[in-house]
Amino acid sequence: MKPLSSLFGRSPFGPLVEHAKKVSSCVQLVRPMAEALIAGEYHKMEELQNRISKTEHEADLIKNGIREHLPKQFFLAVSQRDLLHFLHQQDEIADAAEDFAVILTFREMKLHPKMVEMYREFLDKVLATCEQTVSATEELGLLLEASFGGPEADKVLEIIDDVSRKEWEADRLQRKLIKKMFTLEDELGPVNIMILSESFKALDALADASENTANNLRLMILKG
Amino acid sequence: MITLLVFSLIFAFCMAWMIGANDVANAMGTSVGSKALTLKQAVLLAAIFEFGGAFLVGGGVTDTVRKGIINPDHFMDANLFPQAPAGAATPGPSVKPTLDTGPGLFALGMLCALITAVLWLFLTNRLGIPVSTTHSIVGAIIGFGLAALVPKIGWQAIEWASLGKISIGWVVSPVAGGVLSFIMFVIIRRYILRSPTPLEAVRTLAPYLLGLVIVVVVLSVLVKGLKNFHLEIDLWSAFAAALLVATLAGIFMRMMSRSHPPSERLEDQFFYVEGVFRRLQIVTACYVAFAHGSNDVANAVGPLAGILEVWKTGVVGSTAPIQSIVLAIGGLGIVLGLAMWGYRVIETVGKKITEMTPSRGFCAEFGAATIVLLFSMMKLPISTTQTLVGAVLGVGLARGLASIDMGVIRKIFSAWIIELPLTAAVTATIFLALQFIFT
Repeated sequence: MKPLSSLFGRSPFGPLVEHAKKVSSCVQLVRPMAEALIAGEYHKMEELQNRISKTEHEADLIKNGIREHLPKQFFLAVSQRDLLHFLHQQDEIADAAEDFAVILTFREMKLHPKMVEMYREFLDKVLATCEQTVSATEELGLLLEASFGGPEADKVLEIIDDVSRKEWEADRLQRKLIKKMFTLEDELGPVNIMILSESFKALDALADASENTANNLRLMILKG
Repeated sequence: MITLLVFSLIFAFCMAWMIGANDVANAMGTSVGSKALTLKQAVLLAAIFEFGGAFLVGGGVTDTVRKGIINPDHFMDANLFPQAPAGAATPGPSVKPTLDTGPGLFALGMLCALITAVLWLFLTNRLGIPVSTTHSIVGAIIGFGLAALVPKIGWQAIEWASLGKISIGWVVSPVAGGVLSFIMFVIIRRYILRSPTPLEAVRTLAPYLLGLVIVVVVLSVLVKGLKNFHLEIDLWSAFAAALLVATLAGIFMRMMSRSHPPSERLEDQFFYVEGVFRRLQIVTACYVAFAHGSNDVANAVGPLAGILEVWKTGVVGSTAPIQSIVLAIGGLGIVLGLAMWGYRVIETVGKKITEMTPSRGFCAEFGAATIVLLFSMMKLPISTTQTLVGAVLGVGLARGLASIDMGVIRKIFSAWIIELPLTAAVTATIFLALQFIFT
C-alpha cells in the first residue's frame, strides 16, 4: 500500500523547459539562414532548412509527449488550460522558424544590398524577442520552487514585459523594412517582393508567437 | 476461554505487525528518498518513535476502541445475556467467564473483529489496494456489535453518539490536515521561498520550525504519557518543559548551521533551503511515526484490551485504564512488522516521491502528524494515511506541488467507504458462526 507515492502526477514543467530549449535551438538556425541568403549561398540554405525542419519536428514530439501525459484529472499548480495554450504558442515559434526557412528555399533570390542593414536589424530584434521568451520559460523550475510568487515571479514578469516591448519594436522595424522594400520595387520585381514579404511575415509570426508564449506564461504565473 | 485469549494475542499481534508493515513507509519514505536518511537509520528511528507514540500516547484511542464503539454495558445486562457460566454462582474474578456469558461473548466478538481485520489487511495488501487500518477495525467491531445486540435490543445497540464523533473525526481529520499543511506552507512560502534572501530567511526560521515540532511532541508525551510511569504533571509545567526542550533544540540547530558562503544566485539559495528542510524532514518523519503509533496501535490492541479485561476481571466496560503492557505488545508488533516487511516499502515510496521537495514534505508531514496526534489526545481513532493525503492536497492547493493525481485520490477515498460495511458484514458472519459452534 503506497498511496503517497502514487498521488503525484508527472510534473509537466521539466518537459516544458525541454521543449523551450528545443525551440530555441531551432530558432538559432534562423540567423545562419538569413546570412546565407545575404551571401547568396543557396546550398547552405537548403541544408539549414532541412536541419530547421528536423528540429521543429523534434519539438513537436516533445509537445505531444507533454499533452499525452497531462490527463484532465491532474490538479496542477497552474491552470491546465493556460499551460496548454502556452505550449501551443511556444510550438508556434518553431513553426514560424520553419516557415521562414522553407519560404526562402522556394526560389533563388538575393537580398538588395540597400536592404541588408535594415534586414539584419529586424532579424536581430525578432531573435532577441524569442531569446527573452525562452529565458523566461527556463525559469519555470525556480518559479515552481517559489510557488509562483515573490521576487522570482516579479523578475520573470519583468522579462515578459520586456518581450512585449521588443515585439513592438520588431513590428516597427518590419514596417520600415517593407517601406524600404517598396522604394526598391522596380529593381526587385514583383516575384522577389512577394517572396520577401512572405519571409518578413514569417519573422513577424516568430516574434508574435514569442510574445503570445510570454503572455501565456504570465497567465500561468498569476492564476492558479 | 484460554484458547480465545491465546488466539486473541496472536491476532492482535498480527494486526499490529501488519500495521507496521503497511503504514510506516509513508512516514519515512520521503527522508529515505531524499537521502537524508539511510534505510537502516529510517527503520531504527521509525521503530523508536512508533513504539514511543504507541506506548506513551496510545492509551486514549485504545480505550475508545475497547469500549467506545460498542457499549460493553449491554453485555453486562443480565436481561440480555447470562452473566455467569452455567452452574456458577456469580461472575467475578474467581469465576472465569465462558463463551455463553455476556462478557464471554464480548470477548469472542472482539476476537472476530481482529480476525476479520487481519484477513482484510492481508488480502488488500496482496492486491495492492490502499486501505485504512482504522476503518477496518472499527467496521469489524461494529459488525460484531450489530450481530450480537441488534437481535436483542434493536438498533440502539450501536453507540450512535460515539460513532458519530468518530465519523466526524474521519471527515474532519484529512480536511484539518490539509488546512494545517496549507497554512504551514503559506508561512514558509512567504517568509522563506519568496523572500529576497531565502538563505538568510531559512537560517533564521528553521530553529523555530524545529522548536514547534518539539513542543507538540514533548507536550503530548508529558500530558498523556507519564501515566504509564505513574507520574503526573500539570499543564503549565508541561508547557514550560516543552518550551525548554524546544529552545535547547533550536539553539543546537542554530549552532549546527554551517556557515555557507552567501551566493547571490537564487538557484543556489533554493538548493541550500531544501537542504535545510531535508534535515528538518527527518524530524517530521519521526513526528509522523510517533503520531501514527499513538493512533493506530489501538487498532490492534483495543480489542485485545477488552478481551484481557474479560479474562482478568470477568466484567467489561470498567473504567480501569489501559494497561501499559497491552500498549507495549502493540508497539512491539508494529516495530517488528516494520523491521521485517515494512522497510521494503520505504524504498519504493521514497524513489517515487521525488515530486515532493523537502520543504513541501515538511509541511505535509507536520500538518498530518499534528492532526493525528491531536486526535489521539482526544481519544478518537482516525486514519493516518487519510490525514496524510489531505495534508498533501493542502500543500498542492497552495501551489506547492507540480501536479496531483486526483483520480488516485478518488480511488483511495472510495475504497475506504466500502471498507466499513464490508468488514462489518464479514465480522458479523464470523461471529454468528463461532457463536453457533461454541455455545
